[in-house]
Amino acid sequence: MGEDIISVIIVEDEPEFRRRFAQIVENEPSMRLVGVAANKREAQALIERENFDVMMIDLGLPDGSGIDLIRSVSQKKPDVDIMVVTVFGDEQHVVSSIEAGATGYILKDSTPADVISCIRLLRAGGSPVSPVVARSVLRAIRNRMGPSTPTRVANPESNPLSARETEILQLLAKGMSFNEIGEILGISPHTVTAHIKKIYRKLAVHSRGEAVYEATQMGLLKN
Amino acid sequence: MSAVAIVLSVARKLRAFLIAAAPFALACLLAAAAPARAEVINAVEWSATAVGEAPAPDAQWTRFDLPLRWSASEASALQGVALRMKFRLDAVPAEAWAVLIGDAANGGRVSVNGRFVGAIRMPDERSHVRWRRPHLLAIDPALLVAGENTLLVQTAYRGGMHAFAGVEVGTLAQMSARYDGQFFLSYTLTWIGATLAAVVALLFGVLWLRRPEPLLALLAVAAALWVVRSSYFLIETMPLGLRLWLRLAYYAASGGFAAVMTMALLRLSGRRERRDLWLVLGYAAIGPLLLAVTAQHAAPFIEQLWMPGLVVMAAIGFGYAVRQRLRRREAPPLVLLAAMALALAAAVHDFLLSRGVTLFGSTLALHWAGPLLLIALATPLVDRFVRILREAETARAELETRVREREQLLKRNFERLRESERLQATAQERQRIMQDMHDGLGSQLLSSLMLVERGAVTQEQVAQILRECIDDMRLAIDALATEDAGLLSALGNLRFRMEPRLRAAGIDLAWNARGLPEEIDLNPDAVLPILRIVQEALTNALKHSRARAVQVSVAIEHSWDAQLLTIRVADNGRGITGESSGGRGLLNMRNRANRIGAQLKLETVPGAGTVVQLVYRLETQGGDTTTRMSQLPLNTEAVIERARQI
Repeated sequence: MGEDIISVIIVEDEPEFRRRFAQIVENEPSMRLVGVAANKREAQALIERENFDVMMIDLGLPDGSGIDLIRSVSQKKPDVDIMVVTVFGDEQHVVSSIEAGATGYILKDSTPADVISCIRLLRAGGSPVSPVVARSVLRAIRNRMGPSTPTRVANPESNPLSARETEILQLLAKGMSFNEIGEILGISPHTVTAHIKKIYRKLAVHSRGEAVYEATQMGLLKN
Repeated sequence: MSAVAIVLSVARKLRAFLIAAAPFALACLLAAAAPARAEVINAVEWSATAVGEAPAPDAQWTRFDLPLRWSASEASALQGVALRMKFRLDAVPAEAWAVLIGDAANGGRVSVNGRFVGAIRMPDERSHVRWRRPHLLAIDPALLVAGENTLLVQTAYRGGMHAFAGVEVGTLAQMSARYDGQFFLSYTLTWIGATLAAVVALLFGVLWLRRPEPLLALLAVAAALWVVRSSYFLIETMPLGLRLWLRLAYYAASGGFAAVMTMALLRLSGRRERRDLWLVLGYAAIGPLLLAVTAQHAAPFIEQLWMPGLVVMAAIGFGYAVRQRLRRREAPPLVLLAAMALALAAAVHDFLLSRGVTLFGSTLALHWAGPLLLIALATPLVDRFVRILREAETARAELETRVREREQLLKRNFERLRESERLQATAQERQRIMQDMHDGLGSQLLSSLMLVERGAVTQEQVAQILRECIDDMRLAIDALATEDAGLLSALGNLRFRMEPRLRAAGIDLAWNARGLPEEIDLNPDAVLPILRIVQEALTNALKHSRARAVQVSVAIEHSWDAQLLTIRVADNGRGITGESSGGRGLLNMRNRANRIGAQLKLETVPGAGTVVQLVYRLETQGGDTTTRMSQLPLNTEAVIERARQI
C-alpha cells in the first residue's frame, strides 16, 4: 500500500502558491497531481470528476469558504485525507476545519520536504498537530461538555475521546514532541500520530448534527 | 346620571350593612305578608272572679275595646278575671275552626259556648307567666252554633302591666297561617336577634381580647347587653322568686345598652368628656337601682319615665353625632346614624305600644331594630379590617415590585460593569498588539527596508529577513491564539517551528518541559515578551553560536514567597564574543525582560557556550485558582456515588 502512488488535488486561489504546491507534488515521484482548482466552483467540478487520495485546500476561496468543501468531501469520500493550507495554523481555522472533517493542516510557507512528509504521514494513518491546536481541540471538547456550574453538571458522555486520547492531547498542548509522548506513554511516535488522526475523525463525526450547532454558537464555526 | 351615581355610591358604602341585614329584613317581610284574617274580635267584657273560678251567673260585665291594656299595683296579689267575647256565625262551619289570641300575656283557660277548648298556662301562687308569643286553639265545629257564639277566657294576673289583644276566629287553616307569621315576629325574631347579638358579642369580644380597642369593647358589651335584654322576652314562665332578678337584668341591660350606644355616639361625635360619661352611666343605673330598692314597686315609674328617658338620652347622643356629621369632621358613618335613627324610632314605637297607641301592628319593633343597630356598629369595624387587609396586600405588592426593580437595577449595573471590564480587556489587548507591532515586526520591517534600499543585502538575505518577520508574526499569533494565553502551547509551537531549522543547521534541540502543570498562571501581557526572548535566544544560537546542541528547559521553582517561572536556553557553542552581531538582539531581550519585570541572566564562556536564563515571578492568586478549579467539569453523579459507597 505504502508504495502506491498518492493522488493529490489542490484547491488554492493564489496562483503563486497553487503553482508552488503543484510543483512540489509533481516533483515527488511517489505522488501524482490529479488537478488544481482556483475557486469553489472549479473545486466542486474537480471533486465530482476525479478520484484522489489527498485534497490540499485553502479555506479562504474567492467564492466562499472551503469549510463546506471539506465537509462534503469528508462525507462523500471518507477515504480521502483533507489537508488544510493555512497561513498561521491558528486555532480558529484549524479546529473548525477538523470539525468539518479535515485530518491535517500545513502552513503555507512550509518547505517542500514538509509538505511531502505531511502528506505521507496522513496517508500512513497519522496526523500532525501543533501544541496550540492540540490545546484548542481540548478546549473545544471541554466547551462541548459544557461548563460545570452549581446548577448544571458537565456531561462527560459528550466527550467523544478516550482517556488515552485526552492524555495525548494534553501532552501535546504542553509542547511535547511525538517522540517524548511515545516515551512517556510507552508507545511508538507513529501510534501517537495515529491517535491524533483518530481524535480528528471523532471530532468531525461528533461535530456533525447537533454539535455543529453548538460549535457555531461558540464561534468556532463562522457561517 | 349623577343621581344614579349617588345612589350607586351610597349602595356601595352600605353594601356590607345591606348584605348582613338583608336576610333579617326579608324574614320580617315574609312573616308580615301572611294571608288576611277571618274575623277580628273588637270588644271584650270583663268580670272579676276568684282565681281559677268560673264567673258567677249574675256577674257584672264591663265592656272594653280590644286591644285591652291594664296595670295593677305591684303590691297586689294574684287576681282572677273572666274575659267574654262574642262573635257571630251565619252557619255552622264544616271544617275545623280556631281561635288565635295574639297577645294573652297571662294565658288562661279558653272555652267556647261554655265548652272547654284549651288552656294556656296562667300565673299561680308559685310562678309568674308573661307570654310574648301568640296562641292558637282549635275549636271543634260541633261546639259552634249559627248566630251568636261566646268565647270565654278565664285568667289571673298580678301586679304589673297586662295586655289582652289580637283575638281572631276563623278556619284552622287561616288562623294557623296567621299564627305562624305572628309567632315569627313576636318570638322567633327575638331569638334570631338574641343569637345574632350573641355571635357579635363573642366575635368582637374575642377580637377585643386580641386587640384591645375601645370601639371593639363597646360593641361587644352592647351585644352582650342585648343578649341579656332579649332573654327577658324569651323567658316566659318563671318561678316567682326569679321575677325580680329577671326584671332587674332587663332594666340593667336596657339601661346599659342605651348608655353604650349613647357613649359610642358621643365618642364618634368627638365628645370625650368624663362628665358626659358619668351622666350617661348614672342615668342608666337609676332604673335597676330603683327597682331593687323599692322591691319592684317603682316598676310603673321605671317603665313610664325612666325607659323613655333612655331613649331621650340616646337621642341626645344621636343629635351630637348628626351635628358632627353635618360639620364633616371625623364624621360618624352614615350607616350607623341611619340604624340609630331606626332604633330610636323603634324604641318610641314600642313605648307608645305599651301605652296602648298602635301605629304599625302590635309587634315590638326594637327586637329587630336592636340587632340591626349592632350590625351597623360592626360595619365600620369590618370595613376598617378589610381596608387594612387591602392596604397590607398593596404594601406587599409594592414591596415586591420595588425588590424586583432593585434586582433589575443591580442586574443592569452588573452588566454595565461587565461590559466596561470587557471593553477594558479589549483595550488592553489592542495596546498589547500595538506595542508588539511597534517593537517587533514594525521595526524589523523598517530596518530591513533600509538595508534593501541601500542595496546591501543579497536575495538570500532578503528571504532570511522576511522569514524572520513571518516568525515574529507567528509568535504573536500563537500568543494571541489562545484567549487564556497558554504559554506552554505557544512555546511548543515555537519549538516545533525551530526544531527543523536547528536540525538542518546540525544543532540538536533538547527540550525539557516535563513536570509542569497544564496551566501556568501568568499575566497575558507577559506571554509574548517571554516567547520573543526565547525565540531570540534560539535564533542567536542558530545564527551565531556554532553550537552542536541547544537545551531549553522550562521549570517552575518555588522561592520563599512566590513561584518563579524559569526558562533556560543553553548552547555549547563558542559563546558571545565582544561586538558580535548578537548585540542588538541581546539588548532587545533585556528590554523585554525589564518591561515585564523579569530577570534576564546571560552567562557566556568563550568556547564553552552561552546560557540565557529568564526568571519571571508568577502571580499567586489563591482566588483565581479556586475559580479555575470550579470551572473544571465536575462529575457530580460520580461524587454522589462515591459518597454512597462510603
